[in-house]
Amino acid sequence: MNPTIKLALILIASLEISFTYNLPANLLVILISVTYLFYHRIHGKTLAWLVIVPIIPAFGLFTTIYFFSSQHDLATASALFTRMYAYVFAGASFSLTTKPLDLAHSLEQNCHLPSKFAYGTLAAFNMLPKIKQTIVTIKSAAAMRGVNLSWWSPHLYFKAILVAINWSENLAMAMISHGFVEDQPRSAYELVQVKARDITWMVGLLIVLQVPIVWQIMN
Amino acid sequence: MNQKRKLHVRDIILLALIGILFGAIFIGTDFVYNALTAMLTPFGLAPMANDLMMGLWVMAGPLAGFMIRIPGTAFLGEFLASVGEMFFGGQWGAATLISGVVQGIATELGFTITRYRYYNWITLTITTITTTILTFGWDMLRNGYAKFDFQLLIILFVARLISTFIFGGVFVKIINGLLSRAHVLATR
Repeated sequence: MNPTIKLALILIASLEISFTYNLPANLLVILISVTYLFYHRIHGKTLAWLVIVPIIPAFGLFTTIYFFSSQHDLATASALFTRMYAYVFAGASFSLTTKPLDLAHSLEQNCHLPSKFAYGTLAAFNMLPKIKQTIVTIKSAAAMRGVNLSWWSPHLYFKAILVAINWSENLAMAMISHGFVEDQPRSAYELVQVKARDITWMVGLLIVLQVPIVWQIMN
Repeated sequence: MNQKRKLHVRDIILLALIGILFGAIFIGTDFVYNALTAMLTPFGLAPMANDLMMGLWVMAGPLAGFMIRIPGTAFLGEFLASVGEMFFGGQWGAATLISGVVQGIATELGFTITRYRYYNWITLTITTITTTILTFGWDMLRNGYAKFDFQLLIILFVARLISTFIFGGVFVKIINGLLSRAHVLATR
């Protein structure tokens, strides 16, 4: 599926379930997402992780509404509980099946996002493994001097930003020396197209999602 | 500052890098969030973990707005942080993007109100207030805050305001102070 269309579908679905307290609609989103993830051969371990991660916030929200609010509203509580899972599974069905490079290409070619945004952010995201390493290095270097840097230490952020400033200069320089020019038309070796099938899937799935929502309004 | 300055590719890379760096630091706070939620659940205050942590999650926005003084940078800093979170192990996936847009607009609004002219405590106080109000409004829907009792809402709002002020205000001011003492911003 075209990355932009997939992203749009997930954002619209997530927004829509945010505005409604609808248990069947949430379950439907979860079901479709899980099916899609299985189609993409998701690992059992990853799936288990997706189930475990939201359990504490989802359960916390459930108890707040059901046990501690004055109305003890089970319908709302369970709708909120499943909604958390709907967000997580819908989000995962995008982020686990789409590469940042494909999304950048698609946004640039299909949505006419300026290339400096598409490639600038891509350049930064490709640094992720080094970024994680850098945070560890900064912490270790401080620890060697007997200073403990944690997420509540402004100095940790300060040092991380210093590194980011250096890298952004270097990356921009590297891009320019490879022939990248801002605001100039570019040709692409890999064309990303929006196929009729993508649109059909998006519209079809959105119509299916409306069924439980319209049903709730009618009753 | 100079409002006519344009965003160049190195600014965009820097904004994205800051977002990702902050994300990498926040990965360590996931367990704090979960522990807070678990601790507050027996008191019926589970959502408060959200409000207490909010300041951390919205830090990238005001900091980016302070560092690169061009309209739109606060929004981009916050939004790109959420894009980074989506791709690299954030638990909320693409729904993070919507929160990122809301937080980004909220922070940017604070700078818009001061017309991108003043970068001081007043600006930070205003961004704190706009961020708190807008993100709270969004949580009314997303996290079902609309269904809570009024008394609880007041507690949550105050918690969020304090958290946002400490991390999105005091922290940003300290970090920005360190950066300007290091003279790394002048050349940009």
